[in-house]
Amino acid sequence: MAEQAYTVASDSETTGEEKTSPAFPEIAIGIDIGTSQCSVAVWNGSQVELLRNTRNRKLMRSYVTFKDEVPAGGVSDELAHEHDMLSGAAIFNMKRLIGRVDTDPVVHASKNLPFLVQTLDIGVRPFIAALVNNMWRSTTPEEVLAIFLVELRAMAEVKLRRPVRNVVLTIPVSFSRFQLTRIERACAMAGLHVLRLMPEPTAVALLYAQQQQQSAQENMGSGSEKIALIFNMGAGYCDVAITATAGGVSQIKALAGSTVGGEDLLQNLMRHLLPNMKDLFSHHGIEEIKKMGMLRVATQDAIHKLSSEMAVPVDVDLGNGTKISKFLERAEFEEVNKEVFQKCETLIKRCLCDAKLEAEDVHDVIIVGGCSYIPKVRNIVMSICKREELYSGMNPLEAAVRGAALEGAVASGISDPFGSLDLLTIQATPLSIGIQADGSNFVPIIHQNTTTPVRKEQNFTTVHDNQAEALIFVYEGDEKTVEDNHLLGYFKITGIPPVPKGVPEINVCMDIDASNVLRVFAGVIIPGAKCPPPFMEVRMPTVDDGHAWSAQTLHKTYGSTLDLVTVKKKGQH
Amino acid sequence: MREAEVSQGRKKNYYDLLGIPIHSSPQKIKEAYRKLQKIYHPDIAGPKGHDYTLVLNEAYKVLMREDLRREYDVSIGQIRVGSGKGSSLQGYSSWKGPLRPQALFVDENTCIGCAECVHHARNTFVMDEALARARVRVQYGDDDSQIQVSIESCPVNCIHWVDTEELRVLEHLSRPQQKDGHGIYGQGWESPINAFKAAKSFHNQLKKQAKDSIKNARSTEEETPAQAEARINASMKLKMENISRIWSWLKELVG
Repeated sequence: MAEQAYTVASDSETTGEEKTSPAFPEIAIGIDIGTSQCSVAVWNGSQVELLRNTRNRKLMRSYVTFKDEVPAGGVSDELAHEHDMLSGAAIFNMKRLIGRVDTDPVVHASKNLPFLVQTLDIGVRPFIAALVNNMWRSTTPEEVLAIFLVELRAMAEVKLRRPVRNVVLTIPVSFSRFQLTRIERACAMAGLHVLRLMPEPTAVALLYAQQQQQSAQENMGSGSEKIALIFNMGAGYCDVAITATAGGVSQIKALAGSTVGGEDLLQNLMRHLLPNMKDLFSHHGIEEIKKMGMLRVATQDAIHKLSSEMAVPVDVDLGNGTKISKFLERAEFEEVNKEVFQKCETLIKRCLCDAKLEAEDVHDVIIVGGCSYIPKVRNIVMSICKREELYSGMNPLEAAVRGAALEGAVASGISDPFGSLDLLTIQATPLSIGIQADGSNFVPIIHQNTTTPVRKEQNFTTVHDNQAEALIFVYEGDEKTVEDNHLLGYFKITGIPPVPKGVPEINVCMDIDASNVLRVFAGVIIPGAKCPPPFMEVRMPTVDDGHAWSAQTLHKTYGSTLDLVTVKKKGQH
Repeated sequence: MREAEVSQGRKKNYYDLLGIPIHSSPQKIKEAYRKLQKIYHPDIAGPKGHDYTLVLNEAYKVLMREDLRREYDVSIGQIRVGSGKGSSLQGYSSWKGPLRPQALFVDENTCIGCAECVHHARNTFVMDEALARARVRVQYGDDDSQIQVSIESCPVNCIHWVDTEELRVLEHLSRPQQKDGHGIYGQGWESPINAFKAAKSFHNQLKKQAKDSIKNARSTEEETPAQAEARINASMKLKMENISRIWSWLKELVG
């Protein structure tokens, strides 16, 4: 592949160029970066193959250890013992931390991890550091992820004997667009080009679509439409998707996701076993880190065992008279994590409701991810979906990465003579996107679960007479007020003619393309003008750090002088 | 770019775009949509498939939702009958058994109210006491032979076999219509003298309206597609409101 002289990573729109070089289309590899584990897969010409590292492992731990000079990630490194990851030198759970500000409860929950997560609680990046030679050395989630991706890339290049540039990454459904840019940033730092960022359950849905198509061909069946509910719960996130599949096309009907996962189960149980945990570990001294590591390992062990046993003994001696000796029952574990499981239930119900389906309409229920082995999780899914058994055709830990590899091949323009790649995912937007109008209300322009690519527009008007300018705040989320949603960016429209309020027409148009790039077009429409003022085209998100701040500052500076209100339209749907 | 693509989308109606007949079931729409997505989706066709997929997604959204589809059908001057859950225009008669291509229609302007047909096929025909006219209550409510007898028994030959697709329009138009009035007492109700002719002009009118609105959308440069759409929707709503008012009035009348 010809080296481009200069690529601006965050603004890369090179998909088009790559498509037009048909000589040897590079097959994009699929990467599933989990909060806890990570894997790489690629279409090898006839099927999807998971790549193994030098230690012959398909699933690698997602962490990076900082040592004297060279950091080492979980791809090449092998831990002698779980405790080594908990010495403070290793940064993990970066998927939970990336793109979050220090007021985020998820960041606060990460303060109990062995490495340092410091917050000032003002809406800026948290301070993250690893313990190197008894010093806290600062880093960022993007940097940690990039180091990890460099290792993954090197491994894949050795295995495939070719340069690797294009990737399809799986992401949690609940990621904001700002978080997605941070993932893209990390990829760019690692020299990777993101072809697609695919919500994890939609990757699973694509694998399901392929399996259904193959079984339809084998049985010479008609390949009628099948509805599947996919429940994915890993260490960091929980996602639900509903897909309608026929003829290799996976059409996403609804998506729902939340930041709850195995990490929450673990921390809740740790707190249950050691109620004053927070006070004991708040200073991050070397001894404390060691103790915290011991507790973490013991608790994790107990959770794993509780998947097959009804009760397990927990014995940890944390020194200084702090000793935990307990017989932990499965029911106790479930009671401690009641809220987490309730959240899972809500997500599934919401997804069914958004897809306008009843549990009886679903043909197959697929459950994947590390938490899929927990009996309570399985029970919840089965009881809401009203069935006795779950779909058994896939490996719960490999499904997402296999789907990503399939998407990588399809989006790279690869076809298969046997029709195994005769596939397509029709995606939907997991979160609504809109602007601030009518005071501090969030007015969605593209609603959640809208099929993409999509373009929608809506007209707004001024709130003051002779208002010459208007601020467009673009938000993402599903809450009524803007404060509860994610700010994606803002820009100003100028040149509004001096007329009474309510007269000018401000048109705001939003466009999401197949690679999930959001563009916002906006401008004032002046009927009869010979040369109307040019429209603005803004690729979102544009905000950097401290996004809570910039909006507050703008509101403080301008008040409501640059506000907009919606134009009530008849027959609008 | 936006203007061009929208007008392209309008030129071809959504059914043409999907390559399906107007009466297609949701199942058929789904199949056609997926087939086209596999050709034009940007994942397969590259970025140039973007604009086409936008229109395709919009078409699918509209046609898969019965209410939006009904509005859309009116806007393109097409009327579907009885396919799927609802029909675009609700007429008077109901159906016993499956839809058939031919339906019974009593031209109430010719009918003299002799009740012969009701006598021969009482499950199919009914007397409208207020107007003293017969009308079809249930399509194919009786045996074919009984229906045949009643048709032949009509002294003024006012019972017709019509295309099922035409039925709703005919039934709708043979009802008294609200008259446009200008004075205080000007408004009133009148029935068309010839329901068949009225149906024809109704169709033409719809088509013309649809055409006009497209013309307007294109001729005024400043008008955005969204505005044009809104205007079409609004006028369609008004029209639908009118029709539903007549129905509710009728329902009260007939009881």
